[in-house]
Amino acid sequence: MRPLSWFKQLPLTIRVPVIVISLMVAISAAISERVLDRLAKTQESFLEELASSHVDAIAASILPSVLREDSWEIFDTLERMRPSKASILPVETVVATPSNIVLASDQPQRRETLTPLATEFLDQFTMSGFRMDGDKGLAYHTRKIDYQGQTIGTVFSLFDASPLLAERRQVLLALLLTNVALTMVLGLIGFVAVRRMIRPMQVLESHMIDAASGKSTPIGDEEMPRADQEARRMYRAFNAFVRVEQDRKRLSRQLAEEEKLASLGRVASGMAHEINNPLGGLMNAVDTLRRHGDKANVRSQSLDLIQRGLQGIGDVVQAALATYRPERLSRPFSARDIEDLKLLLGPELRQKNQRIETVCADNIAGPEASVPAGPVRQAILNLLLNAAAATPEGGTIRLIAERMDGELRIAVLDEGGGMPAEARTMLTGLDPRGSAPSTKGLGLWVVRQVADELGAAITVTRLIPAGTRIEFRVPLTLEQELTDAA
Amino acid sequence: MRRFRVISGQEETVLQSGSARFRLTRRAVLAGAIGQTALFAAPALAQQDKPISFGLTPVFLDNDLELLDALQAYLRQATGHPIELVSRRTYQEVTALLVSGQLDAAWICGYPYIQFRDELELVAVPEWNGKPLYQSYIIVGASRQVESVADLKDDIHAFSDPDSNSGYLVTRALLHELGTSPDRFFRKTMFTYGHRNVIRAVGSGLAQSGSVDGYVWEVMRELEPDLVERTNVIRKSEWLGFPPIATSRQYFGKPAIKALKRSFLAMHASEQGRHVLRLLKLTSFADPDEKWFDGIAAKVAALRGEL
Repeated sequence: MRPLSWFKQLPLTIRVPVIVISLMVAISAAISERVLDRLAKTQESFLEELASSHVDAIAASILPSVLREDSWEIFDTLERMRPSKASILPVETVVATPSNIVLASDQPQRRETLTPLATEFLDQFTMSGFRMDGDKGLAYHTRKIDYQGQTIGTVFSLFDASPLLAERRQVLLALLLTNVALTMVLGLIGFVAVRRMIRPMQVLESHMIDAASGKSTPIGDEEMPRADQEARRMYRAFNAFVRVEQDRKRLSRQLAEEEKLASLGRVASGMAHEINNPLGGLMNAVDTLRRHGDKANVRSQSLDLIQRGLQGIGDVVQAALATYRPERLSRPFSARDIEDLKLLLGPELRQKNQRIETVCADNIAGPEASVPAGPVRQAILNLLLNAAAATPEGGTIRLIAERMDGELRIAVLDEGGGMPAEARTMLTGLDPRGSAPSTKGLGLWVVRQVADELGAAITVTRLIPAGTRIEFRVPLTLEQELTDAA
Repeated sequence: MRRFRVISGQEETVLQSGSARFRLTRRAVLAGAIGQTALFAAPALAQQDKPISFGLTPVFLDNDLELLDALQAYLRQATGHPIELVSRRTYQEVTALLVSGQLDAAWICGYPYIQFRDELELVAVPEWNGKPLYQSYIIVGASRQVESVADLKDDIHAFSDPDSNSGYLVTRALLHELGTSPDRFFRKTMFTYGHRNVIRAVGSGLAQSGSVDGYVWEVMRELEPDLVERTNVIRKSEWLGFPPIATSRQYFGKPAIKALKRSFLAMHASEQGRHVLRLLKLTSFADPDEKWFDGIAAKVAALRGEL
């Protein structure tokens, strides 16, 4: 992982202060570098001036003694001119002849009188005059002593530059401490300021995360920042969006309910037929009983007829109740439900002179694991109604139910002209809540709601030459859980 | 070249500048005025107003202002004359002033006294440890191991003054006895114009050996032990006449000189005088005997023809 992407993952409240601190550190480092550089130059020229005037004074004072090569007087002068103030500290001063023979040193023990100067000593000095060695904390100064146009000697002076270097270190330390303190204070201020600034964003973020998980709530007045106009505008926009979303959901639920009622209406009119058909026979039987009820065989035949008719009516009513009051149906889905669905679809089929073929595997209602009957019946009924609507007059609708790989697979096949893209998206699209349902596709939207609820998968396949296969695959749940859920 | 010497000779000749001399003189005059009116009420003789000019050479601890003040105050009080202390860098200058009569008296070295014996008279001779005698020392750096004077061959050698007995003549005579001379025996010689300077030159290592007044070396061992400890004495000469106070023959019988002589000889008798003696680390001043200087005279005689 690149450091930058790692950094980008940090919260804004940390990122911004870190950037502020980094900038502060960079700026203070640059400024400190400039200050120290200037200080070093100032100190060096200060020391050079001081050293220069000191050596000039020595050269002027000892000139006659150098002319006479009077070692004692040179030594005496050097001793008396040794400065006592701390701003300049000569370590050693040596006066030599032009051929670098020591005339006198203020450290005679180290630099014996009338001996040649060591090459290592001479190499430390530059002929140009002043040189500073920061590592050793020493400064070197040479000065020719000229008399009547001739060089009669040289003054070599070594200065202790360590007080200046110590001062430089102190300045560096002071700069460092000041900068660290300033950076920390400013970083803290930055942190607090950024926190305050982005708090509205965090409120918005948490509300948006809630909204994404389906629990959208508007931002309350108590969270509304008083001074921040920008945030208030944003919050108001978010709240408007939440209200629109909530309205849309309510509308969707309402529409689904209406669709349920509409399909119920369609089924009810069919059911009226189912009930009406035996009613004629029942009335005839009742009439027959009234007229020939004394004949035992007639009475027995009529009662049989009445019983069968009432049985048929009872079945239809039971199926309708089971479908539209699913809360009463917490048992597992079984082959009986397939039969009920056929029964409910009957009137619709007869209207268009259609047939239904069902293939139902024996094991779909296994004892150990199953799927809940209520929602699955609702979804499959809607698929069947949709298939009946799509299939032309005299066509065939197929229903295949089987159990495979821990799933209940129910496929509905029609002979229609293919599913519109909009309807297909509603069934199989990524966003379950996207694409608001129109009145037209409400049946399929309900199928999708059920599928999401049960964790079921839907696949839509185009059939050749005509037709669509919609497969509804529900993962099986353990019997125990199913009962508990109910 | 001579005018440059003023700069480098400041330490030795603290009273050299006109202003310093004036300062001391004025102080002496003030003190004298108070003394005359309040303490003594002595008869103000016209003659006594004439100042006595007294020359000093670096034979003794001449860098001590307190000593100079005390000596001046004592002599002024004891003689009744204003005292003008005159200091010069070299023996030669003071001797010249004394011989030519420009100074009434001076504290000089035994060697110039012998040189100008015909023109000078002794006034008093200091007594150190009860004797009017002192020695010349040859010193080397404390860290140096030296058996004899012969080991000093090719040294850089520090002398005090070419007219000093202990700081030049004694060593020169010694080398003469050894059949050589300073210029041949030493690699280089230097004159530091002060016995304290000889100790400084040898102590610091600027010179490897030096010839110094034994009295100054011994006294400084108490006063500045840090400086003196850096030197070791490798040879002490025989006892020789202590640097005397002398006057020119022409002034010898004069009342001012007589008063001066009385003052020196009576120094140990008064508290003020004893204070001066304590500062000088001397016992007293004695009535001089020329014989005390025979040793120096013998050396001058031995070197006759070379000097």
